Amino acid sequence: MKINVMQDVLQANDRIAEENKRLFSENRNLVLNLMSSPGAGKTSLLEKTAEILAGKLRLGVVVGDIETTRDADRISKFNVPAIQLTTGTACHLDANMVASALPHLQLDKIDVLVVENVGNLVCPAEFVVGEDYKIMILSVTEGDEKPLKYPLMFKESALMLINKIDLLEYTNFNLEEAKANARKINPSIEIIEISCTKGTGLDAWINWLTAHHKKKMDVLPHA
Amino acid sequence: MHEMGIAQNILDIALNAANQEGATKISRINLVAGELRGLVPMQLTFCFSIVAKDSIASGAYLHVEEVPVSGHCNDCSADFTVEEYNYLCPKCGSTRIQITGGTELRIKDIEIE
Ligand SMILES: Nc1nc2c(ncn2[C@@H]2O[C@H](COP(=O)(O)OP(=O)(O)O)[C@@H](O)[C@H]2O)c(=O)[nH]1
Ligand SMILES: [Mg+2]
Ligand SMILES: [Zn+2]
Repeated sequence: MKINVMQDVLQANDRIAEENKRLFSENRNLVLNLMSSPGAGKTSLLEKTAEILAGKLRLGVVVGDIETTRDADRISKFNVPAIQLTTGTACHLDANMVASALPHLQLDKIDVLVVENVGNLVCPAEFVVGEDYKIMILSVTEGDEKPLKYPLMFKESALMLINKIDLLEYTNFNLEEAKANARKINPSIEIIEISCTKGTGLDAWINWLTAHHKKKMDVLPHA
Repeated sequence: MHEMGIAQNILDIALNAANQEGATKISRINLVAGELRGLVPMQLTFCFSIVAKDSIASGAYLHVEEVPVSGHCNDCSADFTVEEYNYLCPKCGSTRIQITGGTELRIKDIEIE
C-alpha cells in the first residue's frame, strides 16, 4: 500500500532552528551563520571584528570545528564569549548542536552572535540553525568558479565576503568573474572585498553588520 | 559527508508515517531531491541501508528522484532548466534569472505492508 507523506526531510532541524530563533529574538540578538571552505578566514574575520566592535556592539561566537578548541581560544583573547562545538566527523553544524551551546552563553549580554560553521562549502548550507542571515567567505586562493560548482551556499547567503585580496596579484583569481558567477546564482547577494591581514574593506563589513543589527532591533518589539 | 544525517531524517519520517498506518514493513521510499542539494544518491542509499538496518524499513528501496535546477528569466519570462552550471536564460541570454527549482528535499510517499 502506498501512503502519501509529502514532508520535508529536514523538518526536525527546521523546528529546532525556529526554537533557537525565538530565543535569539527574545534576547535581542542578531545571528549570523558564517560559512566558508576551511582556511578562508572565518576566525580571522571574527578576531578583527571583535577588535573593531569592542565598546560598540557585544559579540558572541559559537564555533564548530572537527578538531580542538583552538578557534574559540583565538576569539576569547578579545574578551568575546566563544563556545566551541567539536563536531567529530560531522561536516556542518545543525540547529540541535547550536542549541546545545546556548545554555553556556549569556544571550542577554550579546548583541551579535556569529556561528562559525565547519569549514566546508557544501553541507553547512543545508541546515538552518536559527540565523537571521547566512553569510560566507570566499578567499582568492580558492578559485573564481566556486559559485558555479557549489551553488547552494551562494544562493542562500545574503553577503559574500571576498577575503585575502592582498594575495590577488599572486593568484589567477578574477574578481569580476567571481562576482558575476555569484550573482548568476543569487542576483541579490551583497559582495564586499576584504583583507583580514591588511584590514582592507573591514569598514564596509562593519557597516553591513551594524546596519543589519539596527534593522533587526527596529523590527523587534521594545523590551 | 552529510548523507548520514539526512538518511537518519528520512528514516525517522518514514517510520513515523508507517507507524500511523500500523505498518509492519516499509518496502519503498520515494524521495525528491533537488540537484542544488548536492546529494550523491548512491551514498544516500548506502547510508540509508545502514541506518534502517534494525527497523521495519530494513531492506527498503530508497528511490531518489533528482530534480534538475530550473530558472525563470526576469527579462523575457522564459522558464527553463539550468544545464551544466550555465546560469543564463537560454532564450534571450539574460543573467537576470531567478532559481525556481532544485533545492527541494522531500519524502513524496512510501510503500508499506
Ligand atoms: N594573506 C592573507 N591571509 C589570511 C587572510 N585572512 C586569513 N588569512 C590566513 O588564512 C589562514 C586561515 O585563516 P582562519 O581564519 O583560521 O580560517 P578559517 O578556517 O576559515 O577560520 C590563517 O593562516 C590566516 O592567517 C588575509 O586576508 N590575507
Ligand atoms: Mg576557524
Ligand atoms: Zn530571457
